[in-house]
Amino acid sequence: MNGCRPLVALIVAACAAGSLSACGRASVHTPARPHDTTVALLPDPDDGVVGKAVVSNGSATVELAGARASTRVQDDRAPGAVAPLSEAETQAIFGDVLAALPPRSHHFTLYFEFESDELTADSRALVPAVLRAVMDFPFPEVVVIGHTDTTGTPASNIELGLKRATMVRKLLLEAGLDGSLVEVTSHGEADLLVPTADDTFEPRNRRVEISVR
Amino acid sequence: MFPPRRVVAGALVLALVPTLASAAEPAAGRIKIVSGSVFVVRANAVVPATAGQVLFEADTLRTGADGRVGITLNDDTRVSLGPGSEARLDQFVYAPAEGRLGLVLKIVHGFVAYVSGRIAKLSPDAVKLETPNAIVGVRGTTLALRVDAQ
Repeated sequence: MNGCRPLVALIVAACAAGSLSACGRASVHTPARPHDTTVALLPDPDDGVVGKAVVSNGSATVELAGARASTRVQDDRAPGAVAPLSEAETQAIFGDVLAALPPRSHHFTLYFEFESDELTADSRALVPAVLRAVMDFPFPEVVVIGHTDTTGTPASNIELGLKRATMVRKLLLEAGLDGSLVEVTSHGEADLLVPTADDTFEPRNRRVEISVR
Repeated sequence: MFPPRRVVAGALVLALVPTLASAAEPAAGRIKIVSGSVFVVRANAVVPATAGQVLFEADTLRTGADGRVGITLNDDTRVSLGPGSEARLDQFVYAPAEGRLGLVLKIVHGFVAYVSGRIAKLSPDAVKLETPNAIVGVRGTTLALRVDAQ
């Protein structure tokens, strides 16, 4: 027992001399403030689809794929091995935050008659459903987005998309929607439903999208 | 001839750019759900968050021990914070017609859930969720993060 004391005294003296990192459990690689991140990939709350995600830091990259796949990153070490959380673990850790997600947006897509600026009868018939959807949301917003095909220039298509969206806004207001909730915008030919080459006539890209959220 | 017309159209677009840049900063999204104590930090001012409040790029959301908040961004991305959390909307650019897209959410600490919207769909590499010690890239999906919290 007594034989240990000089060693203890030596260590205490070394610490007092300032070489603290040699004494504590902390290694020299630990950053000043420790950090701990857990990332979990979850099924989409509405349709159950599971995507993919990539988690990286300066040390390494891991891919998350599959329901509740999870990794933990401690300090600046490489992300830990990917392992799925159980449903119970997911709920225990993330139940509170997941419960605070707002409802998913409702989307409606309206199309035009062939070579015309008139909406199809089916599309006109969607208007009451749009008004009903608005009532599902806290502090609702309605965004009307005009889209075109790739015929014509990008600039002229932004104009054309805006014209179509404005027409649909008018229709919604005539049906009784509060105009202050409605925003009109245009993506022109930059957001095609059916990908095509430039200068391609494609009726399915000539559309107005309504997002209620 | 077509080429001269394209030049004219291009010049018109360029002429519009300064007008757009000097316009008021576009909203990034809106708070939809608030419970308990929740604050918005904007330009060093801390104000209580209210449902329906408009959010902008560079805003920070902060929740107390009993707080939760849910927001919907303009591209339909949804984000929520659990209790004792803080996150900053470092970047939000949603201008598909101009080909400009970007979403960077910095999670300072706590619990955050993210459900991807149109930006992730149109340009997956434009979305980043950052924590103090990791960067998460998204491929159209739902994620939950816990940072420096129990």
